[in-house]
Amino acid sequence: MKPNAASSITKGKMSNESYISLFMIVVLIAFFGIACLFVPNFYLPQNMINILTSFWYIIILGIGVTFLLITGNFDMSVSGVIAMTGVLAAYFCQPLSQSGDAASEMFSGLGMPYWLAVIAAMACAVLIGAVNAFFIARLKVASIIITLGTMSVSRGIGMFIAQGAQRNMNLPDEFKVLGTSYLPNTSIPLSVVIMVVLVIIAVIIEKKTVFGRRTYLIGANIKAAELCGVKVAKHLTYLYLFSAFLAGITGILIASNYIGGSAGRAQGYEFDALVVTLLGGTSINGGFGSVLGTVVGALILSVVTSAATGLLLSPDWQYILKGTVTFLAILAQRFALDKRAK
Amino acid sequence: MGEATTENVLEIRNLVKDFPGIRAVNDVSFDIKRNTIHCLVGENGAGKSTLIRILTGATARTDGKIYLNGKEYCAANTKDAKEKGISTLFQELNVVDQLTVEENLTLGVEDTTFGFLKKTDKIKRIVSVLNSLDPSIDPKQPVSALSVAKKQIVEIAKAVASESDIIIMDEPTAALSENEINRLFEIIRNLHEKNVTVIYISHRLDEIFQIGDYVTVMRDGRHIATKPLAEVKDRSELVKLMIGKTVFEMYHPKDIESEEKILEVKHLSNHKLNDISFDVKKGEIVGFYGLVGAGKTELARAIFGADEYRGEILFKGKKLQRTPHKAIEAGIALVPEERRTQGLFTILTIRGNIPVMNMKKISRNGFINSAKERKATLDYIDKLRIATSGTEKEVSKLSGGNQQKVVFSKCLFADSDLLLLDEPTRGIDVGAKSEIYGIIRQLSKEGKSIMIFSSELPEIVNICDNIFLLYDGSIKANIKNGADIDTEMIVHTVTGGN
Repeated sequence: MKPNAASSITKGKMSNESYISLFMIVVLIAFFGIACLFVPNFYLPQNMINILTSFWYIIILGIGVTFLLITGNFDMSVSGVIAMTGVLAAYFCQPLSQSGDAASEMFSGLGMPYWLAVIAAMACAVLIGAVNAFFIARLKVASIIITLGTMSVSRGIGMFIAQGAQRNMNLPDEFKVLGTSYLPNTSIPLSVVIMVVLVIIAVIIEKKTVFGRRTYLIGANIKAAELCGVKVAKHLTYLYLFSAFLAGITGILIASNYIGGSAGRAQGYEFDALVVTLLGGTSINGGFGSVLGTVVGALILSVVTSAATGLLLSPDWQYILKGTVTFLAILAQRFALDKRAK
Repeated sequence: MGEATTENVLEIRNLVKDFPGIRAVNDVSFDIKRNTIHCLVGENGAGKSTLIRILTGATARTDGKIYLNGKEYCAANTKDAKEKGISTLFQELNVVDQLTVEENLTLGVEDTTFGFLKKTDKIKRIVSVLNSLDPSIDPKQPVSALSVAKKQIVEIAKAVASESDIIIMDEPTAALSENEINRLFEIIRNLHEKNVTVIYISHRLDEIFQIGDYVTVMRDGRHIATKPLAEVKDRSELVKLMIGKTVFEMYHPKDIESEEKILEVKHLSNHKLNDISFDVKKGEIVGFYGLVGAGKTELARAIFGADEYRGEILFKGKKLQRTPHKAIEAGIALVPEERRTQGLFTILTIRGNIPVMNMKKISRNGFINSAKERKATLDYIDKLRIATSGTEKEVSKLSGGNQQKVVFSKCLFADSDLLLLDEPTRGIDVGAKSEIYGIIRQLSKEGKSIMIFSSELPEIVNICDNIFLLYDGSIKANIKNGADIDTEMIVHTVTGGN
């Protein structure tokens, strides 16, 4: 029962999590290097800033998706929630109807002040999270089914309120402030600052709190977690509310950026958020992963997309490229982990 | 050992199976005679199931030889075993409920033309086998409409039709009524006419006498005896072979006995348990002994609030609330039956496992104090002598005994006054076992109460002050431990004897 000599040096050995994070950072740098060789002007500072900042919305969504995936659950509803929240925020603060005829309906809403409209729209977003939580945490239905359902329902609500189009008329001036402001004297959007703050908070929760620790316990072994006194249903409920809240924030920011709420917004974002989470090393089986990894994953996706644009590939090619890179990166990750285990 | 003969359908020679830290099958050799019903008995952990798993190809042997019909036999998986002539009737039946009896019988052996099923003589033959076993089963009816007993008969028919030499039956009567058992036995007895040998495993010793021709007894991974059942006097002779000589010198009665009741269980019943009442006193080690399915795990889980129940449980005089979370808060901890699937977070580190039942001790306002966490982990690694290179080692990389020490550390860290230990030493080696017994005694000296739920008799009689015998969800007897403890009576009781 003596520890053998080979394993007695583990003290200086890094954890699997740091190993994968480091591995994905290497992949990121490699992709960046390759892109610099082939794409003109890829190395320019402005392009780098674009790469770092352009995927802020995927990163915000990725935070919630990462926490849930660590517990072994999915949240595919985020894209629908973004569309719904954007439309609702616009609808809530459009002025009350004057004439009442059908044509003016797209010009008028509930007449709330903008701040109240934001709060109300966020409340609706969180409500979708509550529906997810009820079915998944309490009734124990498979999360992928439920959240695909609520994705459709929430986008459907957006469609209904925006009558299949978008609400961008008669909006108060404040509507565009959040999404179109920059840090003074820089080209860094306020949305990116919000993303950075959210990432910092998420990393602290993940690494330093009991809540974060319990998230891993649930994913590592849900039965054992229950027998260790973790209130699993309650915990998952908080996480779904949190994820919907983040999607709501994203919805408000995107709507503000486009100065209007569109029911068709954010198609496929749920998939991108899941992809960057997986790229960042979070295990699809749960119990393993990190928010910082997800950020790295988003940057990889950003480099690839940006390189594809730089190479003037048509959008149809971009999808194939994105998919291929995702496969390769995840395969490489699996390979690295297996090799390490030997 | 001699050459393989046609008289023996199966010959096992010097079979060995090692698991990390434990030898589950230790140099086992015996023969099984053709067209007999050969029973296999032994306590839990005796090595029966490992032996069967080797025969069915579910696990690979470490060493030794097996001859089937005189030819060397080795199965890669259950399908391979079946093709070579060994079929198994698992406790979890292998039938497809949605299909008809006939479709089930021919599943996997159908003849097809361009992918379309063909009616062939083969199907007629298989159906006729079923008919000869039990004419009351209509081949056209869906399997979902059959009782468990009839489903078993369908499976037996399938095995017979595929010309199996041997059918292994693992506790086939566990879910059957008395009438069904008699019917099944009749069929099993007639199987020799169809050139089939039966290996029959059961904890119910009376059944062994009813049906068996030969019996093989195993204990601690070793082969103890194989003899015709006609030569076995009575069940107590069998019991003696099963338990061997139990060593008692390890048990020391307590000097002082507390009268303070810490746990009072009153008329506890649920799907498995039947009106269970007892008390546990402060500092007492109480043992619950019974076979698999007697209700030990269910009792532990009910007290811990993990399963539902009717009745009342008082802990320290107060009614216990029924969730694990509340039980832990009140001062109860559970070492669950299966450490890998219920007790541990194997992909996390030792540091990630030990503090989880009492995060308050290492955190403030929800924020974890890493220094305290590391210190607590090191303390327990030291205290329970967990063999590891450090706090950051993944638990999956530890040996079974050290994993179990991590589970214990987790429960001790919760500062509980009552510990529920479900099979606390299952699958760990002798050294780690005695260390764990040492920990249990030490805890009892410190005034903690301990309940041990075990199917290993030596464990129960060596450390428990007070022993309850469970059979079929009820307490059948309560014995104070002492010098005059009658182990034969105990085994007699838990195997259903009066």
